[in-house]
Amino acid sequence: MEIKVNTGILSANEQKAVENRKLFKENGVFAINLMGSPGAGKTTVLEKTIDYLSGKVRLAVIEGDIYTSKDARRIEKYGVPVEQINTGGACHLDAKMVSGALSKFDLTGLDLMVIENVGNLVCPVEFDLGEDQKIAVLSITEGDDKPMKYPLLFRESGAVILNKMDILDFTDVDLEGLRKDIHIINPDIKIFEVSARTGQGIDQWAEWLTDRVKDTVK
Amino acid sequence: MHEMALMAGVFDIIRQYTTDLSDKNVTRVTLVVGEMTNAVPEALEAAFEVHAKGTPVEGAKLVIKDIPLVARCRSCGWEGKTEKHVFMCPGCSSFGMELISGRELYVESLEVE
Repeated sequence: MEIKVNTGILSANEQKAVENRKLFKENGVFAINLMGSPGAGKTTVLEKTIDYLSGKVRLAVIEGDIYTSKDARRIEKYGVPVEQINTGGACHLDAKMVSGALSKFDLTGLDLMVIENVGNLVCPVEFDLGEDQKIAVLSITEGDDKPMKYPLLFRESGAVILNKMDILDFTDVDLEGLRKDIHIINPDIKIFEVSARTGQGIDQWAEWLTDRVKDTVK
Repeated sequence: MHEMALMAGVFDIIRQYTTDLSDKNVTRVTLVVGEMTNAVPEALEAAFEVHAKGTPVEGAKLVIKDIPLVARCRSCGWEGKTEKHVFMCPGCSSFGMELISGRELYVESLEVE
């Protein structure tokens, strides 16, 4: 006997993501899902972004990590509310994990929630967390072939932060080719060239983010 | 590596659809997987074996139907298969292509005996 099913494999996650999205919307919180390889500089970009937004945007952070709370401890030093999620081996965050973390925040006093995903270019993209925007962090030292090798992240992201631009001259990266590849995959994506180490370009990215936050009605 | 988590979702769905069929075994599970998902068929099959072990699904055949990546040009209306995720229109070379198919990821049907 054949049973027709036609049910999405991720439907349970999607239902939870819808709840998270509703919660963000009700509280006027803009949420981003920060993704990229291990070592791309997600946490360092975030630290510099927090510094820049200090006093202008009220933000909180959810840190995703497989086992440790190293990143959450780094963020704590900036005096912003932070919750650590340890996935215990899983290579991505899912909407249920984020829902659990959200219950620990007072969302009414927030403008922006940054969810830093587990370092990985593949798996996290498939799991909607309820965010408003996916943001990719790609360090130029990873090589200019990465967008074409992992297109889904770039297709789904609203912006890509090209990090480690301060050491461009020490790499063989074809920056124009890299920008073109990203735009072929997603013509609407914003590209920010930054160095989290020197602070170069953080202002442009943070201003763009601030504009998105302001568009979110309180 | 998230195929284990995806397969946990598949088995949740199988359980929902077979709760009243406790005396029966699932002999075939058919999934529909688009080209632009990050699910690797080999990894799905390995995860299927792990999840099926010791359940009424053990020994069932996993059928994966691949759906090609098809896009349509917002400028000139060209529509067709998109090779290697290059979203540049072969008709007019513009970049604005919308997806028609390729993001599918669902359980289509079960065969029970």
